[in-house]
Amino acid sequence: MSWAAHDLEPYAIQKHAGLKLAFVPLLIGSYSPDMMTKWFVYGIHLGPWDLKAHDPAQFHRGWPGFGFTHSFIYGLAVGLIIWKVFGSKLWGVSFIIGQFAHAITDTGDTVGTMLLFPWTFHFHLNAWAYAGQTGRFTDAAAYFSGLGCMWDAVWIVYGLYSWRVLTSAYFDNYIFRADAFWPWLNRVVPRGALLTVYRAAFFYGTSRWIAWTVWAHVIHHYPYDLSWGGPHWVPAAHP
Amino acid sequence: MRLRLSFDVPDRRDLRVFAGYCLAAAVYIAIGVTWVDFLFSFWVGLAYLIVTAWAVPTLVRRVL
Repeated sequence: MSWAAHDLEPYAIQKHAGLKLAFVPLLIGSYSPDMMTKWFVYGIHLGPWDLKAHDPAQFHRGWPGFGFTHSFIYGLAVGLIIWKVFGSKLWGVSFIIGQFAHAITDTGDTVGTMLLFPWTFHFHLNAWAYAGQTGRFTDAAAYFSGLGCMWDAVWIVYGLYSWRVLTSAYFDNYIFRADAFWPWLNRVVPRGALLTVYRAAFFYGTSRWIAWTVWAHVIHHYPYDLSWGGPHWVPAAHP
Repeated sequence: MRLRLSFDVPDRRDLRVFAGYCLAAAVYIAIGVTWVDFLFSFWVGLAYLIVTAWAVPTLVRRVL
């Protein structure tokens, strides 16, 4: 799994898309595969109950489980529903591209994704350890000690290199113009606040990346292991 | 023929906006490192950013 790439990739895609995509569904698509599942992967306390998947990796990425949310067919199905039900081809296509980016990025870890579901083969590059089953803190420590966080860093650097995508002028000329959602929201929300909302995912991804890195390596001194498939001090899950 | 490498450089206004976001990020990171639950929610991050990068500066501009 990735901790910041899904926040940052939409800005990189947006840079090349211009007016051809809408940013909001692109971002929703990028978040969508984990929206319903992440809380159950890590587990939550709800009053007297502890709710957690018996096999988090299987639940998150496998079949039986919710692994189909990380497949192309899921993105296409939801995108098609958005297109036909809500009548917006732009939103449908943008959602699909965002969801595809998420599903492809998550092939980088040791569990990978069933990109071609219903074929249940897991495409996985094994570049960094999937450690969601260890709980969110150990997972954070492991992720920010391996190649996963370096992959996130690539998107941060690319985002800063493409800084114009985050400017007020770009927002006015592309983001606002491409999608009727923004003028609609602008009837009740001032333009300055909308610009801040547009920048939020980049801010969130980048700030969180720095905060977790500080937490893992300055506060807790977890060792970096940038070898392929690392860090090897955490038990990685496999399909 | 001489080739020149050119960079798209932000102007003073862009840098001032960027500095404001960096300041907001520094505070967000400090809170997050101290209390990590703060880092988990996108909605918390969004609300924080709207307050620090839009609401407060807007209020300050109106007052001054």
